[in-house]
Amino acid sequence: MKALLPLLLALPLSSARAPLATRGAPEPKYPVAAIPAALREGAHAVLRADDEVVTVKSAGRLVQTVHRVVTVLDAGGDAFGRIRVDYDALNAIGYLRGAVYDADGRLLHQLRAAEIHDQGVGDAGGSLMTDVRVRYADLRQPQAPYTVEFDYEVVSDNTLFYPSWQPQDEEGLAVQSATLRVSTPSALPLRYQERQWPAGAPAQHTTAGGQEQYAWALAGCPALDEEDDAPPLADTAPAVALAPGAFEVQGHAGSAATWQALGQWNYELNAGRAVLPPALVAKVAELIKDAPDPRVRVARLYGLLQGSTRYISVQLGLGGWQTFPASAVAANGYGDCKALSNYAMALLATAGVPAYVALVGAGSGHADLRADFPSSQFNHAILCVPLAKAGRPDTLWLECTSQTEALGYMGGFTGNRHALLLTPQGGKVVATPRYRCADNRRERRIDLYLDAQGAATATARTLRTGQEQDLYAQLLHELSPADQKAYVAERLRLATFTLNKFALAATAGPGLPGVVETLALALPGYAPPSGKRVFLTPNLLSRLPALPAQVGPRQAPLWLPRASLQADTVRLHLPAGFQPETLPAPVQLATAYGTYSARYQTLPDGTVQYVRRLELPRLRLPAAAYAGYVDFRRKISAADRAQVVLLKTDA
Amino acid sequence: MGAAGAARAQAPAPDPIKFGQPDAHDFRPEAFAADSAAGAVVLCDYGRSRLVGYRAGFRVLFERVTRVKILKKSGYDAATVEIPLYHRDGDQEQVSNLRGFTYRLVDGQVQKTKLDASGDFLEKRSPNVNVRRFTLPDVREGAVVEYAYTLSSDFLFNFQNWVFQGPYPVRWSEYRASIPVFYKYKIILQGSQPLAVDRPTRGMTTLLVDNKLAAGSISVGQTNGSLSVSAPTEQYQWAMKDVPVLRREAYTTAAADYEARLDFQLVGEQWPDQPYRDLTDSWAKINARLLASESFGQQLDRAGFLKEQVAALAAQYPDPAQRAAAVRRVVLAAVRYNGTNRYGTDNGLRKAYDAHSGTSADVNLLLIGALRTAGLGAQPVLLSTRDHGRINQTYPLLEKFNYVVALVPLADGHDLLVDATDPALPCGTLPERCLNQTGRLVSADATAGRWVDLRPAQQHLHFQQVKLALDAQGGLSGQVHEEYAGYAGADARGELARLGEKKYLAEIGRQHTAWALTPLAVAGRDDVERPLALDYAFTQAPDDNAAAAATLYLSPLRELTGAQNPFREAERRFPVDFGAPQDEVLLVTLALPEGYELAETPKSTVLNLANGGGRFQYNVAAAGPTVQLTSRLTLYKPVYGAEEYGNLRELYRLMLEKQAEKFVIKKKD
Repeated sequence: MKALLPLLLALPLSSARAPLATRGAPEPKYPVAAIPAALREGAHAVLRADDEVVTVKSAGRLVQTVHRVVTVLDAGGDAFGRIRVDYDALNAIGYLRGAVYDADGRLLHQLRAAEIHDQGVGDAGGSLMTDVRVRYADLRQPQAPYTVEFDYEVVSDNTLFYPSWQPQDEEGLAVQSATLRVSTPSALPLRYQERQWPAGAPAQHTTAGGQEQYAWALAGCPALDEEDDAPPLADTAPAVALAPGAFEVQGHAGSAATWQALGQWNYELNAGRAVLPPALVAKVAELIKDAPDPRVRVARLYGLLQGSTRYISVQLGLGGWQTFPASAVAANGYGDCKALSNYAMALLATAGVPAYVALVGAGSGHADLRADFPSSQFNHAILCVPLAKAGRPDTLWLECTSQTEALGYMGGFTGNRHALLLTPQGGKVVATPRYRCADNRRERRIDLYLDAQGAATATARTLRTGQEQDLYAQLLHELSPADQKAYVAERLRLATFTLNKFALAATAGPGLPGVVETLALALPGYAPPSGKRVFLTPNLLSRLPALPAQVGPRQAPLWLPRASLQADTVRLHLPAGFQPETLPAPVQLATAYGTYSARYQTLPDGTVQYVRRLELPRLRLPAAAYAGYVDFRRKISAADRAQVVLLKTDA
Repeated sequence: MGAAGAARAQAPAPDPIKFGQPDAHDFRPEAFAADSAAGAVVLCDYGRSRLVGYRAGFRVLFERVTRVKILKKSGYDAATVEIPLYHRDGDQEQVSNLRGFTYRLVDGQVQKTKLDASGDFLEKRSPNVNVRRFTLPDVREGAVVEYAYTLSSDFLFNFQNWVFQGPYPVRWSEYRASIPVFYKYKIILQGSQPLAVDRPTRGMTTLLVDNKLAAGSISVGQTNGSLSVSAPTEQYQWAMKDVPVLRREAYTTAAADYEARLDFQLVGEQWPDQPYRDLTDSWAKINARLLASESFGQQLDRAGFLKEQVAALAAQYPDPAQRAAAVRRVVLAAVRYNGTNRYGTDNGLRKAYDAHSGTSADVNLLLIGALRTAGLGAQPVLLSTRDHGRINQTYPLLEKFNYVVALVPLADGHDLLVDATDPALPCGTLPERCLNQTGRLVSADATAGRWVDLRPAQQHLHFQQVKLALDAQGGLSGQVHEEYAGYAGADARGELARLGEKKYLAEIGRQHTAWALTPLAVAGRDDVERPLALDYAFTQAPDDNAAAAATLYLSPLRELTGAQNPFREAERRFPVDFGAPQDEVLLVTLALPEGYELAETPKSTVLNLANGGGRFQYNVAAAGPTVQLTSRLTLYKPVYGAEEYGNLRELYRLMLEKQAEKFVIKKKD
């Protein structure tokens, strides 16, 4: 019952009782003095109370109430002085209230209805149409510290999603007290997963009157720091994830108890929507009539898809999960991820190639699927085409929302993770393609021509493949050449230069996609002579900075999610009358974090050649390994900055 | 000839585009050979506005036809259209007759796909704006999309404007306006693009209205209870040909300052047999209106709720500047700026005061009231923030402003401009967002309003004093004293507040990854009238396995400064607007290792920008084991013209080159 106390205290916020609260001498609420010193250490804000109550009313309805009190200690915590609650056609806000107190806990202001803004999110989410709206309020004060108190209720008719609870979701936020209580009818047993949960704080579970009650509590958590090369806080801070067993959304009942069942629900929700108009069926037949090889058929139909459709997001009600029929995509030439994947599935089915829509959590920073906790963890749909080569599985994956992506390429957006395949037999967890060092390459060749006054010109050709090209493919396909050039110029780490030539081009051919970048640079005053000597850093564009020295002990694991391989060759063409005095010594590093080598040599024609190779695997290592990684990066940085010394000969 | 020519001029010019009739030419690839850089090209954007009778008055009817060639997938966004519709106090904008087609060449035939207008979407974006969105079907590379709609607007004062320039290149953009002679508009053309057509003519129109107009010599006929009014019109036709895309550059104010567009402002009404009614706004009228306004002038003396705290300050601070600073502190502590810019209050100052939060208008109108309560003759100065666009003094347009600050006249004849939105700035220093050339003083005597120069006296000032010591292995240690003042002080204080000292130091570490740093000592953090001072020390170990060398090479300044020219592009179209002058000073004392000396003292240099716009001073003086270096970059002007860009970029280049210069340090024989 303890957790209910803050909720009762919040009641005077309702307008009827407000005068009573101010008439007497109310108890100060949440004075800053009551925060233990340990929680102020390194904190911009302290979560004084976060009491969430989730009440499952039925398979189709859930009510979430939140009582959240945050003390903002300094300007760095100001964001906590505001609140934003999203809602849509299936999620209604019951109430939203707020108040703010000074450092001594005296009421400064109660949020008025007129001070709560209500707004559509427009195309912020890339949507043509969405019913998602936000209510937001701002109780930030002129002077810190101050304490804000927010209460809100969301009534959800979308029980496919249960709220998840992670009180400490940002750096610089300490937690004084946080509780989660869940109440569900015994007939609708709760499914939950404790993540990064501290030992010795087990869930309390009671059963009474046909209701199951659960309670979790966290207290006294000091503020966390987001560290370099660490997993996101969402993956390291304590959390309780909740999920339904049985659920029902707009009359569509299902179960999330197993992946099979969750997949079944999704499959059936979208079944019968993959019918194409006859003219298109005929067109497909024509397109593939001379191509018995299913792989060729997929390639041609993916080309048809990319050339004749585009991504337009429409998220209205159940439309967030139920696809538009394939006939609508055929008519309009657009659709969202579900609609386009479903449409592509229909095209392939017409050509006799079976394929399945797969749900995935997309985004380079998105956590991989928690395969041990069946629940809706997805924000995207892709298409999986199970093929075989020489009797072995050789599955093709299709990103159907991109008009430019290479056939079968997932990249950092949907690769290196797990997805839920939707089959007639239900859901099945499968791995998407994994991209390794050799896939994610950056190969660079530079010719640098130096003149006797120290000015230089350089040409640089850089081939990027796999995940290394993800960003560049985006630049190439989405920006004008002038904007591509400006983007790249802004990020070249050179003192002063003029980009005389710039081009991005996609590589042709099968296999992983690649983008070639060609630069011609003028580098005035690049290596001016100091007396008889010239100092020249051959590593013009590939210097990898060191990491800042670690302050205090490292908390988080070392996490390097992206494998890569860099290979550089630089040729320095020297002006007449100069020759190398000293070349840097070769460097060879082989560590658990990767390998690095740098070699220099003078070629027979007097050109100095520099060859560098850096291989960084995908890694996750305990915090103790971080110091070794910092040292590895420091050595790389030192080697990358090494200078060739040229001497002016008197010849 | 002459008569025929005149007659032709009276006939309406043919429409540049007919909806539903695409041009075969637009499907030939060779017609777009020169557009390889563009994702889409606007073939024709054609708008017409006219007045029609509506109930007892009039409304503006705006009809638009737009045709766009989609060249690449990157141009697909051109097929999705968003129409913002404003509504306020019962006046509103509405869209009707929305229609569209996508045309594609299929087997040599143009194939049409119709827009299903029932699929469009109206979103209630914010209290005064609804947004109508639609997207055209069957869009592919090579397609031509076309849409048309009619927008009716009750907002007569701002006749529908027209923007010629957009995110895609435009082949032809034309706007026509037909305005009955009883309304006079001032027409303002902005941007540097030339007009291909600029043709005014005369015409006639017939308007139907419900109620009686002031009848006179215009012919009035009664039909079915409504009045039919005929009136001569001014007909305008403007067009631009081949309008390029407007690209953003670093260090500029609002892009809208440079966009090619037409704006209209109602300046008068001329009804038959009635005297001309001058609605021209003048600065004096705006002044008077503001003073009478409930959201502005009426609020100025309503700072009574601060009276208790402020009244005593008059006696405590006889000096007006000090008193203004004290009053400002009270306001800063009372109300927080919520990031919204306004010149007038939305809900009244009392509400903002109670909520401890308000717009720039709430905060600064309260400030003005409080300054007055404290016995200072504070007056409001309207301005437009940098992202809101520049003020044109020729056109008295109130809506061009979005911000207000206080002006306090001082005894020495100078004006103190005071703003209470940013606690990180000293009193008398306007926030950077306000540094937009000129503001308008609103005076109690409406004729005494005047322009106020907003160019700041305060600089962006960064001072560093560093004691460096080099050892014989090439290791470096240093003690750094940094001061940030003026705008640099506000920036640094903001960063420090946002990050906290630990992360701030980590950011220094990120700039200098080879440094091991000692903790940061911060002084003057809370006293914004003084510079923010930071002290820390670092050591930089020599390279692994480095032995004592006979010759050492060092670029001492390169170890301390940023290494990149801020001007990446070779060319510039728009002025470089820094907002404030800049001064970047670096004093270094370098101690050489015992027994070493400079092989040669690098040359000292002074580089001047043309017309005294700025300079870089570089000075090296060696005295035994100690070398003194001075590097100072001073940019005197807040704004440099585009024609000065090349010189400015070159000054940075030469400075960076000088700062990278290698010192050759030799062991003495």
